[in-house]
Amino acid sequence: MRFWKVIADYFVAQVQFVWSIVSKPRQLVALLKRIPYFLGMLLFALTIIVPLVWVVSTSFKTVPEIFKDPWLLPLEAQWQNYANAWEREGIGAAFKNTAIVTVATLVFLIPIGAMAAYIFAKYPFRGSKALFGMFLGGMMFPNFLIVIPLYFLLQSISLYDTMTGLVVAYIAYSLSFTIFVLTGFFQALPNELAEAAQIDGCGHYMTFSRIMLPLAKPGLIVVGIFNAIGLWNEFPLANILINEEANRTLPLQVVEMATAQQYSSDWGALFAGLVIVTLPVMGVYWIFRDKIHETMLAGAVKG
Amino acid sequence: MAKRGRTGFIIAFLSPAVLLYGFFVVWPLLQAFYYSLFRWKGLSPNKTFIGLENFQNLVKDEAFHKAVWNNLAILVVGGFAILVLGVLLAHGLQSNSRPIRALRGLYLFPQVVSLVVVAIIWQFMYDPSSGLLTKGAGAVGLDGFTKPLADSSQALGAVGIAFVWYSLGFYVMLFSAGLKQIPEEVNEAAELDGSRGWHRFWAVTWPMLWPVKRIATIYIVINVLNIFALVWVMTGGGPNRATETLLTLLYKTAFKDSLYGYGTSVAVANFIIAMAFAVVLMFLFRKNPEERRA
Repeated sequence: MRFWKVIADYFVAQVQFVWSIVSKPRQLVALLKRIPYFLGMLLFALTIIVPLVWVVSTSFKTVPEIFKDPWLLPLEAQWQNYANAWEREGIGAAFKNTAIVTVATLVFLIPIGAMAAYIFAKYPFRGSKALFGMFLGGMMFPNFLIVIPLYFLLQSISLYDTMTGLVVAYIAYSLSFTIFVLTGFFQALPNELAEAAQIDGCGHYMTFSRIMLPLAKPGLIVVGIFNAIGLWNEFPLANILINEEANRTLPLQVVEMATAQQYSSDWGALFAGLVIVTLPVMGVYWIFRDKIHETMLAGAVKG
Repeated sequence: MAKRGRTGFIIAFLSPAVLLYGFFVVWPLLQAFYYSLFRWKGLSPNKTFIGLENFQNLVKDEAFHKAVWNNLAILVVGGFAILVLGVLLAHGLQSNSRPIRALRGLYLFPQVVSLVVVAIIWQFMYDPSSGLLTKGAGAVGLDGFTKPLADSSQALGAVGIAFVWYSLGFYVMLFSAGLKQIPEEVNEAAELDGSRGWHRFWAVTWPMLWPVKRIATIYIVINVLNIFALVWVMTGGGPNRATETLLTLLYKTAFKDSLYGYGTSVAVANFIIAMAFAVVLMFLFRKNPEERRA
């Protein structure tokens, strides 16, 4: 509820602000100029809040309530919708799959990415710039360019329609971003630290694991969070590489539900499903939002 | 770093990433260009080399025209809306007070929600029987907005609105960071020279936003060319290809019609279009106008 208190404080502050200067004509003009921005910001905030509130509200409604008036709030919370989504509609199983796939991907992705980033940052060699550029290129071109060959590649090594195959593909596709961010973090660490460690008898491996890796922890956390959110939500690749219901991730299962619900119209369960998919990422986002904002904008504003 | 064992260390640390990336990203990428030169139907391994015939067919294919056109429409109209709204809203976010920070956090909500969820939310907001927007429009007396996603004249606009809703927060953040980078002295100098309001915006602020404008444009182009989940879930490219985009066309061609060679040529065409845009953007943004003056 801190969030609502903050919003309430904001309005109180605005009112006090208006009150404090309403008698001074020059400042009144300045205030009038702020009104359009203020209204615009409020309007945009509402266009985000209203649909999200509607989703949560609908997830607690009975079917007749849903079709009576979308703008009304539920009379009584129908927790049954959540049970239906979890059990009957397979959201529970898909939740488990997504959790497994996300965690498994991160467990391999972060060390592999960190090792490569460390080399790019601290061990330049002939051609390392070009190799780094090749990894970066992966962030630019449309991923879809490769889905057809990838689909056949995974079939040929018997990884099509398996969670293992999906994890392997996810690791490969997430490397570009991971290496990009982590290289920046390792570059920022002073070389003297590593040199001192090596004088003290640490080899290359020990310098990395004992000195440099722990210092890059903030970076590891940031890429971990970013990748976790992205992987949890990922749809296009999973849609092509997964087929069996038993292997479906949350985004696939929820699309399946949406397609079915247009005919059977149990919107309550569907919307409960949407809430279940979204809640974990929203929580992670809200906890780490300042870090996330920083990383999103890093590089971007430096031009 | 110390010399001894350096090469072995580099190889050991780099090889997992290089092998994975090479095998699952670079290799399929090369194959994509190769496959696009074949006629290749169904799951049979029979491929016939036909040179550029796929591309010749693509140029004549009306579905492809429609898809390119729709992508361009979203890019131009949606991109314009995002830039204008983004810059305007960013002006409102300039203080660092707690409420503004909270608002900023709120603006990025749609970005963290899965695109699939965004698509489903909007699909049901437009639902004819009980959608939030269709019912709302009916309540305030707006006729003709009862089933936007099934109406081929409204569907693209309806999808475009969802796209802007999803993306806008990020660009607001981007421009607000850009505005913060304009040095305080510049604004004070403009103030002293009597430059205010719109004049100051066009003469000072807008040109100073150059680096952010460049990166924002690049992001928008990449994101529009990558549109898939949103359209696929909301409309599947329909009705009547009214919302067909390059990637929904690719998906249908390859994975519904099993025309893998032809589908890959759509992918390669998408890549070529992206490259063309990159060249145009590099030309448009070749020089920072501010650097000359400084």
